[in-house]
Amino acid sequence: MPLGAYLTLAALVFAIGLFGVLTRRNAVGILLGIELMLNAVNINLVAFARFHADLAGILFTLFTISITVAEVAVGLAIVIVIFRVRRTVEADHLDLLRG
Amino acid sequence: MTAEMLAFAGVAVVLLASSLGVVLTPNLFHAILYLAVALVATGVVFLLLDAPFLFGVQLLLYAGGVVTIVVFAIMLTERLVGTSIRQTSRYLVNGALVSLAVFVGVAGFLVQAPPSAPRPAWPGDLTVAVGQALVGAFAVPLELLGVLLVIALLGALYFARSEG
Amino acid sequence: MTARVGADDLALLVLGLPFASFLLLALVRPLRRSAPAAAVVSIVAMALAFVAAFLTLQGSVRRGAAVSPSTTWSWIPADGGPMATVGVMVDELSMWMLLLVTLVSLLVQVYSWAYLADEPRSSLGRYYAYHSLFAFSMLGLVLSPTFLQMFIFWELVGLCSYLLIGFWYDRPAAARAAVKAFWITKLGDLGFVAGIVMLWSVTGTFDFWTLFTMGSMGTLPVEALPPIMFLIYLGAVGKSAQFPLHVWLPDAMEGPTPVSALIHAATMVTAGVFLVTRAFPLFRLTPDVLTLMAWVGACTALLAASMACVEADIKRVLAYSTISQLGYMMTAAGAGSPEAGFLHLLAHGVFKALLFLGAGIVIHVFHTNDVFRMGGLRRQAGVWLPFLIATLALAGVWPLPGFFTKEAILADVLEVRRWGPFVLLAVTAFLTAFYMFRVVFLAFFARPHGRRHGEPHVPLAMSAVCWLLGALTLALGLQQAFLSGHHEAGGPRWLPWLSLTLAGAGIALAWAMYHRGAIAPARVAALLGPIDWMARRRYGLDALFAGLYRGLLLALARLIGWIDRYLVDGVLNVLSAWTLRAGDRLRGLQTGQPQDYVYGVAFGALLLFVLAHWRLR
Repeated sequence: MPLGAYLTLAALVFAIGLFGVLTRRNAVGILLGIELMLNAVNINLVAFARFHADLAGILFTLFTISITVAEVAVGLAIVIVIFRVRRTVEADHLDLLRG
Repeated sequence: MTAEMLAFAGVAVVLLASSLGVVLTPNLFHAILYLAVALVATGVVFLLLDAPFLFGVQLLLYAGGVVTIVVFAIMLTERLVGTSIRQTSRYLVNGALVSLAVFVGVAGFLVQAPPSAPRPAWPGDLTVAVGQALVGAFAVPLELLGVLLVIALLGALYFARSEG
Repeated sequence: MTARVGADDLALLVLGLPFASFLLLALVRPLRRSAPAAAVVSIVAMALAFVAAFLTLQGSVRRGAAVSPSTTWSWIPADGGPMATVGVMVDELSMWMLLLVTLVSLLVQVYSWAYLADEPRSSLGRYYAYHSLFAFSMLGLVLSPTFLQMFIFWELVGLCSYLLIGFWYDRPAAARAAVKAFWITKLGDLGFVAGIVMLWSVTGTFDFWTLFTMGSMGTLPVEALPPIMFLIYLGAVGKSAQFPLHVWLPDAMEGPTPVSALIHAATMVTAGVFLVTRAFPLFRLTPDVLTLMAWVGACTALLAASMACVEADIKRVLAYSTISQLGYMMTAAGAGSPEAGFLHLLAHGVFKALLFLGAGIVIHVFHTNDVFRMGGLRRQAGVWLPFLIATLALAGVWPLPGFFTKEAILADVLEVRRWGPFVLLAVTAFLTAFYMFRVVFLAFFARPHGRRHGEPHVPLAMSAVCWLLGALTLALGLQQAFLSGHHEAGGPRWLPWLSLTLAGAGIALAWAMYHRGAIAPARVAALLGPIDWMARRRYGLDALFAGLYRGLLLALARLIGWIDRYLVDGVLNVLSAWTLRAGDRLRGLQTGQPQDYVYGVAFGALLLFVLAHWRLR
């Protein structure tokens, strides 16, 4: 399969993830969307690495995955704290920063 | 139609379908299960890209780790609130339009890009090369990653601990 | 042609001594704080300066008139010779002025020691420091060989006048009078400085001697001269209190009496006359300005004399009489004989100082300036005799110096057939005798008012100074009457008799009205109703100036206030309002919802895509 196919697949997954981030009301749902977007990026990285025979892309992916795990852990912790305080995880209601 | 194309088409269908499931299903728990499927499918894509080590990492960390954490979190919150969390969506049309626009934008580049060369052969075993790079050129980022993970661990603990 | 020229180093010594005294008093604090030391320093310096001035005159030599009497050093360097020079000009004019200024300064300083004995010691040190500075400035003005240097000292003199009028600065009236004097004289000084700058621009020099030489050789641009000389004359009008800028001088009487004697009678106010005399070779080339000068001088003389007739404050009467006599001097200069005016200046300097110092004694005795609350000093001849001598001199009675100098002025005015000014001056002579004797009869010989004072105590220094000045006045008059012999040069034979008759009539009228009581002053006032009414209101000039000052100042303040309120504040207010409104609108963008920010990020990315696509093309 050519590189373009992998990249198109990644772009599609990215767009779907973005859609999720934009439309989900639930904070956990938003996080899931972000996971999808990150996955799309990972696919991109690995595809480029493979087609250019460059190890750096693989290693970057490795790091991304690890960091994502950390991010998810912290993000979920924040969500739980928000839930504890506000009794909701609806993003619509989380507008303390409104100007 | 070669076996590789067939495999790619199958994985792509599974990946896209499960992704759509993640963003569209109203049940949060189902969404996580769809995410798990999507992550595994991504792993298979890595496999198709001759990166079996990454496939393993993806399975262990993502499908194993992330999904577990999220399931825990959801069950915790559901326990706290007492009912199962439904997730609803908002501004579906707006989101779809913007997402589509972004896709079109990226695809625009892809269309314009010159046709790529066929994939070259890997020079040797990928897993060995990754291992050597991690303790060689990428040793410092690896250590920093370890620090980051510790910080994330502490941060998560700090946020999640109960009052008092 | 020869002219007397003095030694420049001696003249510099005269100039330097008061300056050294001023520096000493200004910089050495303990000296200033201790009144006796300050007085001794100042008086000794002044006495030495007087001796030096006397020696300058004594040792002056006759030299050809073509030789410059100035010694100058270059000051402001410029391409092609210095742009300005400083130096001393020691001719007859300045030497006589040196003598007058140092003499009167010395006597007044001695007199002040007794007169101001009740003052706090520290402020007395300040007083003597000002006095030294004044003497330095006045001497520098007199010795100036250039217009520029003269202007600098001119302003210094004005500053000293301001400081000394406002010596009792905690009195509102004194502070106001000081500011008034400063402002009004500054009006004239504006003309002065503009005039000398214009003069420089057409001739390229400030130097008197160069200008005179140019004038006599006919190389001066005569057609450009009249406005310039008029502007310079304006400076003299301000300083010498000519109509209509005379209003500051009566108010200047808020200062201590010795200051009035020194500055506002004998020396500083004559600076204007001195300027005209000094620059007369230039004024001679502008007959129109001279005509104006003569008429303004004569009108000033009469106007001031009429105001003096209704004034009750003894110092103000003397102030008006000063204005009146300055009018005489200016008329003399306007009639083309500044020498007569200058002689009157010298004589007037002596006997007007005496008048003020004598008035100081009376004020010291009665603790009031009001002549109607004085009287009963008939037995104290020591108090009234010197004052009477000076009064007779001022009234122009033979054989006192005022008679001769006034004669000379009248004769010169007649000679050039200026009948208008002559008549005005003649009437003024009558009024002068009248108002001065009105003061004499009221202040000394009237019945005592109120409670009976004990034997009035007059400090020795004060009466000694007065006696000295009285003797000097008498000596000057007798010298002119019997020794010089050419006092009747010029003028018709009937002139002395006319002026003596006028003076006698004035004295007689004053005697009849204020001593005998034969004519009630109220009836005379009723007879001359409008003039009396106007004179009592000072012809509305003070009110006019005050109104102008207030009107202009208020208008300016209103204008600035309007600009500040509507332009400066307005711009700022509009800007801040716009900022607030824009902020109000912009805060709508911040919904606080994360997903809206993601939209923003997505749009940003799209924008970048579009840009990149466009650039790739």
